[in-house]
Amino acid sequence: MTMVRRVLTLTSGRIAVTVLAVIALLAVLGPLLAPQDPLATSDNTLAAVSGSHWLGTDHLGRDTFSRLLDGSRVSVLGSLEVALTALVVGVVPGILSVYLGRTFEWITLRLADTLVALPFLLFAVAVIALLGNGITQAMLVTGALVSPLFYRVARAATLAVARSPYVEAAIIAGASVGWIVRRHVWVKVLPPIAVALAQTIGVGFIIVSSLTFLGIGVQPPAPTWGGLLASDLGYLSYQPWAPLAPALLIMVTVWAANLLADAIRDVSGEAGRAFVNQRRARADRPDTTGSGPEPATTGGA
Amino acid sequence: MPAHLITRSPGPGPRASRRARRLRATALAGALAAVLTPVLSACGGDTAAASGGSTLKWTSSYFPTHWDPVVGGSGAQFRELALTYASLTRTDETGKAVPDLAKSWEYNDRGDEITFHLRPGLTFSDGEPVDGAAVKAAVERAQKQKNSALFGDLTSIESVDADGLDVVLHLSQVDYQIPQLLGQRVLQVASPKAARNPEKLDQNPVGAGPFVVTQLVPGTKAVLKKNPDYWDAKNIHIDNVELTSAPDASTVVSGLQTGVYNFADLDPSQASAAKKAGLDVFVQPGFNASNLSLNVNKAPFDDDRVVDAVRHAVNRQEFVDKLTFGYGEVTDQPFPKGYVAYDPESENAYPYDPAKSKKLLAEAGHKAGDIKLDLVIPAEDPQAEIVQSQLAKVGIKVTIKIDKNWATPFFAKDLTFSLYATTGRDSAVQTLTAHFGPDGPLNLSTPYEPDGFEAAVAEVRRTPLESPDYAKTLQAATRAGLESKALVFTYSQPNLIAKSKAISDLPKNPAHIDWTGVTISGSR
Repeated sequence: MTMVRRVLTLTSGRIAVTVLAVIALLAVLGPLLAPQDPLATSDNTLAAVSGSHWLGTDHLGRDTFSRLLDGSRVSVLGSLEVALTALVVGVVPGILSVYLGRTFEWITLRLADTLVALPFLLFAVAVIALLGNGITQAMLVTGALVSPLFYRVARAATLAVARSPYVEAAIIAGASVGWIVRRHVWVKVLPPIAVALAQTIGVGFIIVSSLTFLGIGVQPPAPTWGGLLASDLGYLSYQPWAPLAPALLIMVTVWAANLLADAIRDVSGEAGRAFVNQRRARADRPDTTGSGPEPATTGGA
Repeated sequence: MPAHLITRSPGPGPRASRRARRLRATALAGALAAVLTPVLSACGGDTAAASGGSTLKWTSSYFPTHWDPVVGGSGAQFRELALTYASLTRTDETGKAVPDLAKSWEYNDRGDEITFHLRPGLTFSDGEPVDGAAVKAAVERAQKQKNSALFGDLTSIESVDADGLDVVLHLSQVDYQIPQLLGQRVLQVASPKAARNPEKLDQNPVGAGPFVVTQLVPGTKAVLKKNPDYWDAKNIHIDNVELTSAPDASTVVSGLQTGVYNFADLDPSQASAAKKAGLDVFVQPGFNASNLSLNVNKAPFDDDRVVDAVRHAVNRQEFVDKLTFGYGEVTDQPFPKGYVAYDPESENAYPYDPAKSKKLLAEAGHKAGDIKLDLVIPAEDPQAEIVQSQLAKVGIKVTIKIDKNWATPFFAKDLTFSLYATTGRDSAVQTLTAHFGPDGPLNLSTPYEPDGFEAAVAEVRRTPLESPDYAKTLQAATRAGLESKALVFTYSQPNLIAKSKAISDLPKNPAHIDWTGVTISGSR
């Protein structure tokens, strides 16, 4: 059974995947689904919720719902950019640090320690100040700063495998490092990496939202969830409900990413496989006692 | 007491038990509050309140980044600096120069020399005397200090002589604007002894104003106490001032409601909430004027028809409605209506007419979407989005670019298109030359100047302020300046203020915040 199918056996996994799929769909189709031009101003400023403006209008008379849909792309792409950069920058040296000798190991460990010490939000702001206002460069740098998480996870998993008897046996049998990594290391490293990746997507959302909340990374009038939240806060006395929509979207997306991380962790490894098999067995057994509550193991046991 | 340590009585039912627990919790909270409140208050470092008397708690969006008046320049921060620095003159409610440190002044017959007579017996807060030598040092420092933001304002002053309490300014031209010029915006006088170390002065201000700074946390907070040696101390009824840098606009009203502040600059979006909270909301008159800055030395603004198309594409009322919530005013001049320099003849010279704008662009050979402009601004600003939207309606595509280092290319006149907002000057001539003069800092099209402007300004300088022809001459200069193709004025941002009703009304000096005669009731 693949990891994806195992994740989908869990309620939490199904919820997380569904929510993230909807968000991804919004990122792809959001601008097309927007009922109105998200940049078109009108005299109808700070309007209440209505049939023509589902979430009202902002201080310049723009349709908030359309801006929310249009802004989803920046948030999704930004968080993916952080996660993928961190993945690439972290995993490869993490695995290689076990095999490429002490010098490489020492250098990469010290580099990882250094990157961990840097506050990534502050660093992203500094990079934008240096390289110009753009979300791409900010997210690339943030991804590099988050990469020590992947480095340590990949290294720890590789170390565990590298010292196992069957790997030692393979080495004695003349297997190359490349073959060992492909055949034995990769399958062990993948599950914790998948957990870290899902978590980092959530972190990426928070970073993108924080930067755009501060007006950093995107050129106005491009809408973003963080930007919408920031501008709504200035008009609370007119639309006290307005920040709810972008705030909920950010919150739900981050929650779904974390839920997915938990689900992946629950179904990973031997314990995870045993857990899934146990659930399947229970599901196959005839129900004689009535449907009791689901075991509370999906939220992060 | 932690909940698990509370002994449960077996007698009463669960509701009574809950009530008893709630009562105990309330009593505990009350006791804690009674003990902790005075302790925490004492630890809070509320130095001003601790010293007693009336305290002004002012949170400002323009907390000074520099406390050396020479470095701070004549922007909005002069209002806060005026708490601690006095100047030679100040302006009254009509905008006319009246005595401050100088009790009187007179010009020579030719109008190229002016003598100020200082009040006797005044000292700076470090004990140094306020005399002619101190004023001479202040003028010369403003002209010569490397990081001075004022040297461009003092070009009429050739040399300065000091003689006891008199100071004589020798001018390079006839200029009757000097008393207007040397007010709070341009010549706040610092102690010459303290000014010998400008870096130290920048964080330890020493002036002869109504208050003395006792504590300064750069960029955050300043604590001041009344200066008993101020020349008009008898009319200052505030004992202490706590000046803080304003937090996010949306939290200012809460701060006013809870007494963290009792006086605040207010964003127009918060006016409704402030009124609902029972605060006193008012607009202090001012000289604020926002504009689109065009560089006529660069395409496409090197074509007059494109400039005129932009002029007709601007719907000023939209700025007022969306950005000032009706508290501001439309303006097509750098002066408010009713001010002596405002030229009624120039009013609405380029009315909003998008059809005409499109026609002009077509005449200039531009189809819709042909013209693409970068609008470079220092920070996110909804004003830019309105400009973008209005120009899009006539077929000009604007891309907003935020450049944190905007000031460098703007003042180097490298930009093609930008936004600027002035808080004005006490001297109308200074306002005109800053905007329309060939070297004016706010003229993005340097060295361009409109025909006849220089002569018109010279004529104003030659006209005494008391002359019956002064208003007419000044308005003619405004008219000449407004021929400039480098500026399109849009609206006037209001100086909106919210205050506790305990603070009495302020004098209505345009663009100034004058504490003379202001009282705070219930503090003594």
